[in-house]
Formats: sequence, C-alpha cells, structure tokens
Amino acid sequence: MSAFTSALRTPDLRKKLLFTVAIVGIYRLGATLPSPGVSYANVRACLKITEAANNDLLNLLNLFSGGALLQLSVFALGIMPYITASIILQLLTVVIPRLEQLRKEGQSGQAKITQYTRYLTLGLAVLQASAFVALARTGQLFNGLCDQNDPTYQIIPEATGIPMWLTLSVLVMTMTAGTGVVMWLGELITDRGVGNGMSVLIFTSIAARLPGEGWSIKESSGTGKFFLVLGLVLVIIALVVFIEQAQRRIPVQYAKRMIGRRMYGGTSTYIPLKVNQAGVVPVIFASSLLYLPQLYLQFFDKNTLKPYQVWIQNHLADPVSPLYIGVMFLLIIFFTYFYVSITFNPTEVAENMKKYGGFVPGIRPGKPTADYLDFILSRITLPGALYLGLISVLPNFFFIWLNQSQYQNFPFGGTAVLIMVGVGLETVKQIESQLMQRNYEGFLR
Amino acid sequence: MGVSQRLKSRFRKFLQRPGTTVDLGPLSKRLGAIEAREEALQELDDAALTDAAREAADYVEICAIGREAARRAISQRPYDVQLLGAMALLDKRVAEMATGEGKTLTATIAAYGHTRLGNGPVHVLTVNDYLAKRDAEWMEPIYTLLGLTVASVTELMTPEERREAYAADVTYVSVSEAGFDYLRDQLVTDVADRVQRDLATCIVDEADSILIDEARVPMVLAGSTSVESDPVHEAAALMRTLRKGKDYEVAEDGRSVAFTEDGLKNVEEQLGGIDLYADDQVEKLSAVNVALHAHALLRRDVDYIVRNGGVELIDEMRGRVAQRRRWPDGLQAAVEAKEGLSATAEGEVLDTITVQAFIALYRTVCGMTATAVHVGEQLREYFKLEVAVIPPNTPNIREDDVDRIYSAHDMRDEALVEEIKIAHESGRPVLIGTLDVKASERLARQLADAGVPSNVLNAKNDAEEASIIAEAGALGAVTVSTQMAGRGVDIRLGGSDEKDRDAVVELGGLYVIGSGRHDSRRVDDQLRGRAGRQGDPGRSVFFVSLEDDLVQRHAGDIIPASPRMDIDGVVHDSQVEYAVEHAQRVAEGVNHEIHKNTWRYSVVIEQQRLLLAERRERLLTSEVAAIMLLEKSAEKAKETDEDVLSESARAIALYHLDRLWAEHLAYLSEVREGVHLRALGKLDPLDEFHRSAVPAFQELLTQVETKTIETFEEVDLEDGWQPDRAEIVRPSATWTYLVHDNPFGSELDRLIAAVGRRLTSGG
Repeated sequence: MSAFTSALRTPDLRKKLLFTVAIVGIYRLGATLPSPGVSYANVRACLKITEAANNDLLNLLNLFSGGALLQLSVFALGIMPYITASIILQLLTVVIPRLEQLRKEGQSGQAKITQYTRYLTLGLAVLQASAFVALARTGQLFNGLCDQNDPTYQIIPEATGIPMWLTLSVLVMTMTAGTGVVMWLGELITDRGVGNGMSVLIFTSIAARLPGEGWSIKESSGTGKFFLVLGLVLVIIALVVFIEQAQRRIPVQYAKRMIGRRMYGGTSTYIPLKVNQAGVVPVIFASSLLYLPQLYLQFFDKNTLKPYQVWIQNHLADPVSPLYIGVMFLLIIFFTYFYVSITFNPTEVAENMKKYGGFVPGIRPGKPTADYLDFILSRITLPGALYLGLISVLPNFFFIWLNQSQYQNFPFGGTAVLIMVGVGLETVKQIESQLMQRNYEGFLR
Repeated sequence: MGVSQRLKSRFRKFLQRPGTTVDLGPLSKRLGAIEAREEALQELDDAALTDAAREAADYVEICAIGREAARRAISQRPYDVQLLGAMALLDKRVAEMATGEGKTLTATIAAYGHTRLGNGPVHVLTVNDYLAKRDAEWMEPIYTLLGLTVASVTELMTPEERREAYAADVTYVSVSEAGFDYLRDQLVTDVADRVQRDLATCIVDEADSILIDEARVPMVLAGSTSVESDPVHEAAALMRTLRKGKDYEVAEDGRSVAFTEDGLKNVEEQLGGIDLYADDQVEKLSAVNVALHAHALLRRDVDYIVRNGGVELIDEMRGRVAQRRRWPDGLQAAVEAKEGLSATAEGEVLDTITVQAFIALYRTVCGMTATAVHVGEQLREYFKLEVAVIPPNTPNIREDDVDRIYSAHDMRDEALVEEIKIAHESGRPVLIGTLDVKASERLARQLADAGVPSNVLNAKNDAEEASIIAEAGALGAVTVSTQMAGRGVDIRLGGSDEKDRDAVVELGGLYVIGSGRHDSRRVDDQLRGRAGRQGDPGRSVFFVSLEDDLVQRHAGDIIPASPRMDIDGVVHDSQVEYAVEHAQRVAEGVNHEIHKNTWRYSVVIEQQRLLLAERRERLLTSEVAAIMLLEKSAEKAKETDEDVLSESARAIALYHLDRLWAEHLAYLSEVREGVHLRALGKLDPLDEFHRSAVPAFQELLTQVETKTIETFEEVDLEDGWQPDRAEIVRPSATWTYLVHDNPFGSELDRLIAAVGRRLTSGG
C-alpha cells in the first residue's frame, strides 16, 4: 500500500498510474456498453431467469470478460481472442519453421510475430463474435432457458425495421472492432502504464464482478452471512498473498571471474523456487477436466437418464458432492506435479548453469546438480499442491454452507482469487521497482 | 516515381519509419538565400570574414560563411547537400550521407554553427585517435578563418595537454578517450586536476558505429590490485592437453563452452586429484573455466592478434585493433597465458560507464554516417535521434550484384581468386573485404599462388593504412583487407594523384568484393560504399560460402541438403538465399539483444553514478565533510587545526566514497551474473536487479559517512592523511559477455517446448 502512496508522489509514476486507471475506465465503459441491435432490457430479463442455471464454460468466459459476454456488449469478447491467438502462434512456432526462424531474429522478427498475432486475434474475434451472436439467437447463450421466440426475451429483437442480416453483421463487426480496441488498450497499458496490460485487464474484469456478486449474497443469505463471507475472503486473500511469496532459495555460485570476487554472504545469486511454482494453471486444467462429465450429460434428456448417468449427475457433475470435491482436489495435486515437471526442467537448468560456469556450492555440475534440484523441487511441490487444492475447493464448501449452487466460478472462488492476487503482486512489484529507481531525491537532499 | 512507389513512401512515412520522419524541405528552401550571400562574402578580406563569422546567428549566415571559409582555407566549396547535412546536424539529427560526400567538412560547418548558436563547446567524437588528429589538422585553417580554436586529443597526451585541448572551441577526440577522460575526472581529489569542461554538444562521426555497435561495450576505469598467485599459466598449459568433443563441448552459437564429465575428471586428475567443486577450490575452478574459455572460444588472428609482446583485441565490427579494450574478469590474463606471454595484472573496477550513458551526458547530440536508416529504430529508442537522409550530390551509379553463393569454402575461394584474377588482368582496381585477419592473409597467399600481387591491410599492419588506401584505387591494384577498409576510408580512382583516373573509369571503376557476409548488413553496405564514390562508376558483389561461420551458426539447420547449383558451382536456390539473409538478421538480433540488455541493466547504475557524482562534487568543492565531522565527531574535530581538518575531512570522505563505489560495482556485477536465474521463480530479472541494487546503494550512502567518521577518529592527523589509493588508474573498455536475460523463455515457451519434445520423441 505504501508503494502506491509514494508512487502517487512521484510525478512520472503518477502519470503512469493515472494513465492505467484511465484505460481501465475506458475498458469498463466498453464492457457495459450494449452493442447496436441488442435489447438491453431483454438481456437483463434473461440474466435474471438464468441466474440459477449452471454452465461452467460460459461462466468462466463470462468471468474473464467481466460479465460483458452475456450482455453482448461492445467488449463482449474481451481479451480472450488475443490470449488464444498468442497461444496459437506460440504453438505454431513449434510446427512452422518459418515462425521459429522469425523468433530467432530477435526484436524485428518478434515484432512481425506480434503483428501476426494481431491479425489472428481479429480473425478469431470474427469467428467468436458470430458464434456468440448465433448462440444468442437460438437462446443457448442462456442455456435455452430464455425463449427467443418470445419478443420480451429476444436479445436481438427482430421487429426493428432494419433487415436482420444488417443488424447481425453490424453486431459482429462491432464486437470484432471492440476486440481490436481491447487489444490496443492492453498494449497501451504495457507500454505506457504499469503492469502487464493483459493481466491488468483480466484483473479488472474479475474485480468488476465483486460488488455485484457480493450484493447477491447479501440479498439471498442476509447481512450476517455476507460479512462472514467477506471476512473469510479477506483471510483467504491474506493466505494466498503469503504463500505466493514464499520461496526456497537455492544458492548458486559462478566461477568465471578471477577478480573482484568477494563473498557477499552468498545471498545475491540464487534460484528462487516458489512454493506455488505452478501458479493457477493446474486449477484451470482440473476444472476443465471436471467439466467433461457435465458436458457428457448434456447430450441426454435429463428425465430419462440411465442409473450410471444419474450417479454421474449426482457425484461428478455436482460441485457440492464430496466425491466431486475429492476428485477435484486430487486432480489439482496431480496437475501441479505434472505442470511443475514440465515447466521446470532440472536437467535444462543444470545445463544452463554449467554453460555459464555456475554451480550450487558443494554439488558438482551436470547430473548431480539436476538430481539435487529435482529433489528440492519435489519436496517443495507437495505443500504447494496441497495449498492449491485447498484454495480451489474452498468455494465448493461455500456452496454447501450457503446452501446454493449458482456460485460456481464466482469471483470469491479459488481461481479468481489466485489470478487476482497473482496479477496484483506482479503489478505492485513492478511499481516498487520503478519507484526505487526514481526515488533517490528523498535521501539526497 | 510511380504511383505505387509514392503510395508506399507515404505509407512508410505514416508509420514513422526511420529516414522518413525528417522533412528536408524547409532546409533546402534556405539554399537559395545562402547562395545569394556568396558574392558579397567573397569580397570581404580574411579579417573581415572572421569578424562576420563572429556575428553569424542564423542557419543562412552560418552556412554561407562556412562555405566561404572552406573555399578559401582548403579550396573546397561545400556542395548544397553538404550544407543540408550541416543544417540537419544543427537540428540535432543523424544525417545519413553516402560515402565520399564530405562528412568531415559538413561536421566542421555544423560545429561552427553550434558554437554560434550557443551550444558550445563542441566535441567531434570520432572512432579512433588517428581520425581525430587527421580531421582536426585538416580542418584547422577553416576554423581559424571562422575565428574558432580547434584541437584534438590522443591517447599519449598528458593531462595538461588534454586540458588545453578541451579548452578549445571545437575538440576532436575519439569517443573512448573522451569517455575515459570523463571517468578520470570523476575520481580527482582536486578540482584543478580536471581536464574536461562541461559536456555541451557532440557531433558523432560514424554515428551507427559509435552509438549502436560501440554502445554495447562498457568503458571501465581499473586500478591495479595485488595478485597473490598466478594460476593462469598452469591452467593454460593444462588446456593444451584437452580435446574438443571429448573433454569439453562448445555450444552451437560458439559463445559458450563447458567441460564434459570426463574432461572435468581429467582436469582434476592433472591438478593432483582435487575436487574442483569443493568450497576451497573456487579460485582454481575459476582459473580453469576462464582458461577453457580462452582456449576454446577465442581465436588468434580472428578475435585478437599478438603484437609487441601483448594481446590486442580486434573490434569485430571494424576489423581494427580496439584501442585499450580488454576482456573482463581475468579472461585477458588467460589469453595472454595461452599465448605464452606474461599475464598483465587485472585491475579492480573503479568506475564504469557505457558509451551510451556517456553520450547521454551531452545536452546536444547529433551525428552522421552512411548507414543510419538501418539502425533508425534503435537510434530513436536509445537516443531519441531521428535520421535525416541527405541525397548524394551526384547520383550513385554503382552496380550491386546479387550474392554468389557456394556450398563449400574451397569452391568459393577458387571462384573468388579466379574473379580477382580476371579483373586484375584487365587493370581494374579490386578491393576485397575479408572477415578476419587470418582470412585476409590466406587469401593473399592464394592470390600470390595464382600470380596476382596484392597489398594486405589488416589489424596487424594498421600503421601502413593511409599509404595502402591511397593506392587502392590505382590501375591494377589489388587490396585485400579486413573490415578496416570498410569504414571512413576514401579510395580515389587512379591512385593518390588520380593520374590514371580516366583509364580506371573506363574499366568500370573500383570493384569491391566481399568474401563473405558480415554480422551486420551495415558493415556489408559500408564495404560496398567504398566503390561508386561521388558518382564514380563501381561494382560490388559478395561471395558467400555456406560453410561461413555466420551461416553455420545461425542458419545451419535450414539449409537444404542438396541445393540447386549451376555447373560452375554457384547455388541458385531461394531457400538458400533466404537462409543467408536470415543468418545475418539473427546475428543482428543477437547484437541488438546484447545492446538492449547492457542498457537496461546499466540504467540504474547510471542513475546511481550521477547521484554519487553530485555528492562527490559537493565534497570536493565545499566544506560539507568538515562540517559533518564537526557535528558528528565534535571533540576531535574542534581540537584539529581548521585547515588540516578541511583537507583531511575531504580526503577521507572522497577515499571512502570511491572505495565503496568500486565495491558496489563489484557487488552489482556479481548480482548481474546470476540474476537471470530468478526468472525460474517467475520473477522479472530486471526488477530483481533493481531490488538488489537500490538498497545496496542506500546502504553505501550511509556508510560513506560512518566510515569517514571512523577513519577520522582513528588516525593521527599530524602529518596529514595519505590513503592507499589504487595507484595506477588504467583505462580499459571491456567486452560484453552474452548472458540472456531469461535463457529459459517464458513459462508458455517452456510448456510448448516440453510438449514439442514429447511429440517429436513420441512420433
């Protein structure tokens, strides 16, 4: 917090902060601005009926777009197309040699890849916008609960006098253009504001839902429980902040320099291994996997389910069943180990250290170092995995406690808190670092 | 210009592409007025012209008087384009002017203009001492006529001579001399010992070379430290017993080397069965690592030459001996040991500054070069400079042939010798640019075998440079050179006296052949630029072999196994042509990356250095140290005689400040070395670097005070205080290692790489 106040006292950082806030403001404005051709009143009505329904995937997307998606607003697609495009291009570099070569050409090649990413984003945006408009037209956007033949629920009203094809293409174009603008806003924040633009926008979207969801808890469960939830959430946030910053430091020494070598207590060079080395990815993997049973059930009529399907419905598709919670927990632990083993390759790290003349004091380079790193890593991953699992199943206990089921992926849940705290910490660190560079005046005069 | 051409240039301008952002229109409008002044000025006598020169206040008057002075003093009337260039320099741009267009004269008018506009004193920064001295002497008559004093600074000058030279209105100095003088001025203990005045304006000659290529190299002021042991010779002897591939492995990019498991055991055995990774063997381990680097990665006559009992580094971009440059961290001593020379003592770093940070100290920066647009984006990013493209006085009619690509070295060499022989037999002068000293010598031998006599110009015989270049354009001359001939040299057709000029023009002018692409397009372009000067005819071509280091290192994996070839062995394959271009772009990208990282990590050090300089200035010029002692150590301070107190307080405080700064720098380089590992914990290495650097600096500031008080209270001040300063202050520019900011890539990169590995190994 003190970082923020002193940042506000440093002129050019203040400028950067205000710039970021202004961009975030524009982003939120666009996220609530209805697209042309969409009846805002009807959307509200539909949202109301479907509040109790549960559609995991759309909910997750809606969470990332800050609620803009279900309202079909100008920024309905948010930054998902951009993120998807970046991932696709990253994947393509493995497949297409020309892209890999571009990447090697350094900054100028990278600039070209960024340009391709932007084009691909717009392409994806057209596809996604069309898909969502189609979903809205058939009513599936609201799980079929909102009858699109009834004019009072029609999201895109037909009786306007404007030909439908025109309305629809304008809608798709608006949403595509909106994506372009969001992409630009994100890049602006990265270039001229504070933090990583994409992360800041995701953070904004999730945070934007907090007041609304909090209110609905208060409405349905009473003020007492609301404050209890609030208190619990604060405790969780504190816990997450604490664990996210916990790390084990493995000292490393470089033996390449003959001169000026002094020992500085061995603290300056080390590999920091985080307790939660995997981040939020295992949670996303696990919830996606657990969405499959639900998806499977959607292909069948709910009234004529076979016994095993009923069992699935009661145990694997129901977020409050103990089995669901248990499986979720175990999956997260599995994915944590899996993901850490993929992204932290002890052999590669040991090779890199060897290449530049580094070693862990007392341990020989190459295989012994890799083994040592592996040993430390597997020991530190266990508490990390348990922590991730616990944080992620917490919201399910909230459901049981609040006796409701509509809060899957609600913003107080594990995923959201992990993402928000992650982005928050990253941004604050960046501000701090910039602040330190500029804040010499204080102790010089 | 066709419509599509025009549209394209409009679009480039809209995108703010470098080279399109400066509109020369307003400047060229003044040319008429300048010409109109000519007649009146010609009528003035020299004294009156000098008086008029002291009055000039606008571009028109400055250019008109500059032109007249040049005409009288050295009988060269500057062309309009040279005046355009001068005005662009006055506008603080980087002027791109082709070779032979007279940049020296342009700079002279600009230097005069800047002093008239109140931006003086002006430093003209050159790439080496030779050019500084030559240009200053050559231009002196003009400056005299303009009522200005001019001087140059060279390496062997004493401080008094330097002070005198810097006192001139315009000073020609190599960028490294200027930088080192600045650093030395930062360490004086008496204001009167300073040599430089205020850094106001610099005109950078060969701007891309100094501002971009050289900017990667930090200038380091080193003091000597006592060396207790000499492990380097033992280690160097040991290296000769090792074999590549078995005992050590060189990385694909040729920039790092490491022992294999077997090699390590071998070394440990030879050292008497020790464990190199035991706690007490760090020094031996460092010696062995450094010796291996010197043995496996640095090649004699490519990276360095041995001359006069010393090792001299070769600048990879210019092919010249890099004055005063040394490898850092004991590597220099290791190379000396490798060559069987006595190792020079390595100094402790007392202060350091990058070329980029040094240039940033000038209030006004402008420059000129023949290849600016290519690095326009970097000039904008790092120096906020825009490029003004000055058209040539007479259009360039040089023919640039497409590369001739051969699949192997011997085929290329054979074709190269054949081509030179044919050109030579016709009498046409040929200039061949080779990649390194070794290659230049080899080619000269091959030519001799084929009966073609040649002059060799490389880092080893740089003393003869002027005479070799003077005759390089003579009828029948064959000159084999390294990149040395690629920049800043002016080859006149027909030899120094131009007596065979017509005959040479008849034959098609100078024929420039590159025996391989360089690491940067700009170096290639500079080499080409030696031909076709001032509208002369000329021709250029590059002979590329697919076995060239550049191609092998950066594009070895994408060359098709059997490319399409002519009967004479020339490869015609679009994939191969792409690979060669690609390799060069990768090399440029790597260099840019090094520059960027050097810069990003030096920003915070630079700020700290400036802050400390400010504090040092106050200690030096005021009584703050004495006042501080009167406060904090009142008892002893009051007993001490006032003069003694003032003097010793200052000396003690400065001593501790300098010492602590040197230690701080050592600490920072230690942190820098391993900070990339932090990325593994998802931390930003640069942020982490700041997180270490800033608190350490804060600590330093308080320590200066406490240590000063401590020393003051301990010592006996009867005979004044003598610190044991690191006596010999030796300037050196060090060489930058390549350490990636994050060699592991982002998390997503790693994930995808892992998936890719699994896919390729599974399928």
